[in-house]
Amino acid sequence: MNKANGSPEGASVDLSVLLARVDHDRGLLCDLLSIFKREFPVHLTSLQNAVAGNDAAQAARLSHTLKGMLANLAVTKAAASASRLEGLARAGEISALGDALATFEEEVQGLLPEMESYMAEARP
Amino acid sequence: MRILIADDDALSRGLLQKTLERADYEVTTVADGRHAVESLCQPDAPRLALLDWMMPELDGPGVCREIRRHREQSYVYMILLTSRESKEDIVEGLESGADDYLVKPFDAEELKARLRTGERILHLEDRLVEAREQMRFKATHDPLTTLWNRGVIVDLMGRELVRSQREHGCTAVILGDLDHFKNVNDTHGHLVGDQVLREVARRQLLSVRSYDFVGRYGGEEFLTLLNNCPPASALVRAEEIRKAICTRPVQTDAGPLAITMSLGVLLSCDWGHRPADELLREADAALYAAKTAGRNRVMQAKPEESRQRVSTPQPAGERVR
Repeated sequence: MNKANGSPEGASVDLSVLLARVDHDRGLLCDLLSIFKREFPVHLTSLQNAVAGNDAAQAARLSHTLKGMLANLAVTKAAASASRLEGLARAGEISALGDALATFEEEVQGLLPEMESYMAEARP
Repeated sequence: MRILIADDDALSRGLLQKTLERADYEVTTVADGRHAVESLCQPDAPRLALLDWMMPELDGPGVCREIRRHREQSYVYMILLTSRESKEDIVEGLESGADDYLVKPFDAEELKARLRTGERILHLEDRLVEAREQMRFKATHDPLTTLWNRGVIVDLMGRELVRSQREHGCTAVILGDLDHFKNVNDTHGHLVGDQVLREVARRQLLSVRSYDFVGRYGGEEFLTLLNNCPPASALVRAEEIRKAICTRPVQTDAGPLAITMSLGVLLSCDWGHRPADELLREADAALYAAKTAGRNRVMQAKPEESRQRVSTPQPAGERVR
C-alpha cells in the first residue's frame, strides 16, 4: 500500500481509518476485502430487484446490510447513501427509492476494482 | 474470557472476531438470533455476548428478552451493536434486557472498554452468588460435621416418605446415637469430642450412596435416610454403618478412641401412611431398645412391637445413652 496513511486520490475508502480498524493487520484486511468482494455484488443485485419490485421491507433490510458493510470498510460516503436508502424504504417512500438507488450506484461504481487493488497490495 | 458474537454480516463478524481474539477473548460466532439463544442457553455458555440489532430469525432485542426469561442460568452480559441511534431505539434495546449498546462501525478501544465493564459486572455477580451459596450452606448444614442440620434432614425425611409412598417404594430411616459419648467429653474435653463427631460423620457419609441423606439430628445423634432401599437390605446397610464406626478406633488428639454406635432402623413401607414425627418416635424406640440390649447394635422398629409398647408403656426416667 503505497499511501499507507492516506487514500489514493479519488478513492472511496478512507484508508487510514480502515487500516486503524484492522490494526494494520494485512491478513485481516485481505480477509475482509474478499468477503466484501463476494457478498457486495449479491446484496446490490438483490437491492436493485427489491427497488424494482417496490418491496420496501426488503429494500430496507438490504440497504441496512450494505450500509453496515460499507461503514466497516470506511467507505463513508456510500454508507451514508445506503443509510438514506434505508430511511426512505422504512418510511415507505417507494417513489423516491429509484433516485436514491441511482445515487448509491454512482457512489459504489468503481468500488470493487479499488478494493481489488488494496487486496493486491495487502497480500503478503 | 469467552464471548459470543451474533451478527449476520460476515464482514462485521470477521472484524469483531479478530479484534476480540487479539484482546485474548475466546470467541464463538453465530449468524442469527436463534442460534445465539441456543448457544447462550447451553451449560457453560459464554457469559459475554455482542449481539447485532438486526438479524434474521430473531433480532438482538429478541435474543435479550429470551435470555432474560431463563432466570435460573448465570447472568449474561449483553451488548447490542446498532447503527440505530435514536433515543427510542436505544430505550427499546435496553428495555429488552441488554446491558449496553455500541454504535457501528465500532471503535476497537471503546468496544474493549465496554467489555471490561461487563467483566466487572460478571465478577461482581460471581461474588454475590458465592456469598449466597455460603449463606445457603450455613443455613442448611451443621457447622461441625458439615452434614445436613436437624431442620433440613427432618424436612428431607418428610419429602422422602411422600416420594416412597407415591412410588410404592421403601425408605429406610436410621437413627444412630454414639454410645457413652458423654464419657468422651467428660474425660477428654469437648475438642476431642468434636473430633470424634467429625470422624463419625465422615465414616457415615462414606458408608452410604451419594444420593442417600445423612444429617446431625442432635448432639451425638445422627439421622440417615436410604432412598429406594429394598427391605431385605436395610438391616445390612445399617450394620455397615455400625461397623464403619466401631471397626477402627477414631484418631484424636487424646489418642485413638474406641467409638461405637447404637442404631434404630425403620422401613417406611412397614408403617403405611404415618407422619414423619411419628416414625421418628418409632425409630427412636428401636434405638432405645438397641441401647438397653447392650449398645453397639442395630434394632429394627416393627409395628407389632410398637403396639405392645403402647399397651405396656416404658417407665419414665433417664434415657440410656
